[in-house]
Amino acid sequence: MKAFAYTVVALCVAVLIETVLPDRAVFHSGWYNVALLALIVALVLYARRALRSTEGPQTAALVAIALGAGILGFAGIVNGLFAPDPRTFVGAPGQEIALAEMGGVLAFPSIADSTTPELVRSHTPVVPVSRERYLGSFILRPIPRTVVRVDAYDANGAHLTVTQPTGSVFLSPVLMMESTQEISGLDLPFDSFALPAAHRIVKAVLFSAQQIAALRGVTGTPAPAVLFAVDDQADRPLPHAIRLARSGETIQAGGVRLRGVIATYPAVDVIAAPSLPAVIAGLVLVVGGAFLFLQQGARTRFRS
Amino acid sequence: MTLPWITGAVAVIIAAVVLVPIFSGQAPHVAGPGGIVGRVAPVFVLQDDRGAAVSLRQYRGRVVLMNLWATWCPPCREEMPDLQRLAARERASGLVVVGVDQGESAQRARDFARALDVRYPIWIDSGQLYGRAYAALGLPTTIIVNRRGVIVRGFDGPLTYQQMQAAVGPLLTQHKAP
Repeated sequence: MKAFAYTVVALCVAVLIETVLPDRAVFHSGWYNVALLALIVALVLYARRALRSTEGPQTAALVAIALGAGILGFAGIVNGLFAPDPRTFVGAPGQEIALAEMGGVLAFPSIADSTTPELVRSHTPVVPVSRERYLGSFILRPIPRTVVRVDAYDANGAHLTVTQPTGSVFLSPVLMMESTQEISGLDLPFDSFALPAAHRIVKAVLFSAQQIAALRGVTGTPAPAVLFAVDDQADRPLPHAIRLARSGETIQAGGVRLRGVIATYPAVDVIAAPSLPAVIAGLVLVVGGAFLFLQQGARTRFRS
Repeated sequence: MTLPWITGAVAVIIAAVVLVPIFSGQAPHVAGPGGIVGRVAPVFVLQDDRGAAVSLRQYRGRVVLMNLWATWCPPCREEMPDLQRLAARERASGLVVVGVDQGESAQRARDFARALDVRYPIWIDSGQLYGRAYAALGLPTTIIVNRRGVIVRGFDGPLTYQQMQAAVGPLLTQHKAP
C-alpha cells in the first residue's frame, strides 16, 4: 500500500510542477517522459496489489485514486511528447502569425490602435493577450521587447517608403531587432531596412543607455540610441554614412535623413502545458479518493 | 458493466480530453494579401494627396479596389493607366479605385499621379499602415473590398486590365447593400 501511495504522490507532484512551470525544457525531454511512463506502469502494478487487500468502498476509493493519478500522468506525458516546445512569436505591428496548434492567428496590433496582441480563432471570442492567459493546453504570455520605429526622408525632406525585404513584414517601418551584431565584445540588437526610392540599404544597431555610457567619445547624459550605417543598394558602405542617433533625433547620413524612435512592443510566448481539464479531473479523483479511503479506514477501525 | 469496461471507457474519455486540444485546429494560413480574404477591411483615417482626411468608411455601399503603390515601384507605374481606365469605366456601376501611396510625401505622390494622368483618389499612407494590415509581400498589392466592407480578393503583384475586370465584375452586378 505504501508503494502505491508513494507512486501516486510522485505522479501528482511531477505533473503539478509541469503545470505550474510549463516553460521548463526538461518536461519535453525523453528521460522525464520515460520516468513518467515508468511511474504509470508502477502505479498499475501497485494498484492491482493494493486492490487485492481491500474490499467494499475502499476498493472504489483506490480505483478513483489510481484513475486520477493515471489521468495526471497521461496528461503530463502527452504534453511532454506531443506538445511543441515553448516558442516566442515576434510580430511586427499589424502582422498576423498563424498559430496552427491553437487553430487561429496571433494578431499583433497597429501601434496607433493598441499594443495588445490578440488570439483570433473562428467561432470563438477574440482573446486579448494583455497578461498571461491559460487557454486549454496552452499558456499565452506577453513579453515586452525593444523595437525601433524609423522615418526616412530624402535630401529635400520628402518622406520615403521603408521596406524590409528580409524581414517578416515587407512594408513595415518598425524594426523588430531580432538579430544580434557583435561590436566591441557586445552582442547588440540588429536589423536592416531598405529605402528603394533613395537606393539605400540601412543597418541599425540598438545601444542601451549603459552601453552608450561605456562608449568612448560619446558626450552628454547616456540614453538609448540607434547606430545607423547607410550603404548603397549593392550593400557597399558609403563614406561618412555611420551615425549614432538618440531616440527621436534626426540625423543625416549617406544622402538621407533618418529618425529612429525606440519603443517597447510585445512579443508573445506560447507555452504548452498539461491539459487543465485533465489535471483538474485527475486531482479531484485523487483527493476525493484519498478522502473516501481514509474515511472508510477510520470507520473500519472504529467498528473493530 | 464490469470494472474493466468502465475503466476502458473512462480511459477513452481521458485520452480524448487530453489529446483533442493538441491535435485539433490545424488551420491552414495563407501568407500575403490572399490570407486576409473574408475579414472586415481595416479602416485607418489617412490624408489624400491634397491634405483632406479620408477613410474607407466614406465608400460604404460601394465596391472598392485599393491599390497599394509607391513612385519608386516600376510595376506600380505600369498598371496605373489600366486602373484609371477601370475606374472611369465602372464608376457608374459602383466601383471606386483608390491608390494608397506607401510611405511617401503627398507632393511626390501627387506629381507622379498627375504625370500619368491618374484621376482616381490618391491617399497618403505615410505610416504604411495598410501595407502591414494587408500583409503586402511587395508592391503593387491590390485588395478588393465588397459593398459590405469585407475583403474578397487580395493580389500580390501587378494585374492586367482583364484580371481587374474579372475580379470586380461579379461584385458590381450584386445589389447595393442597404
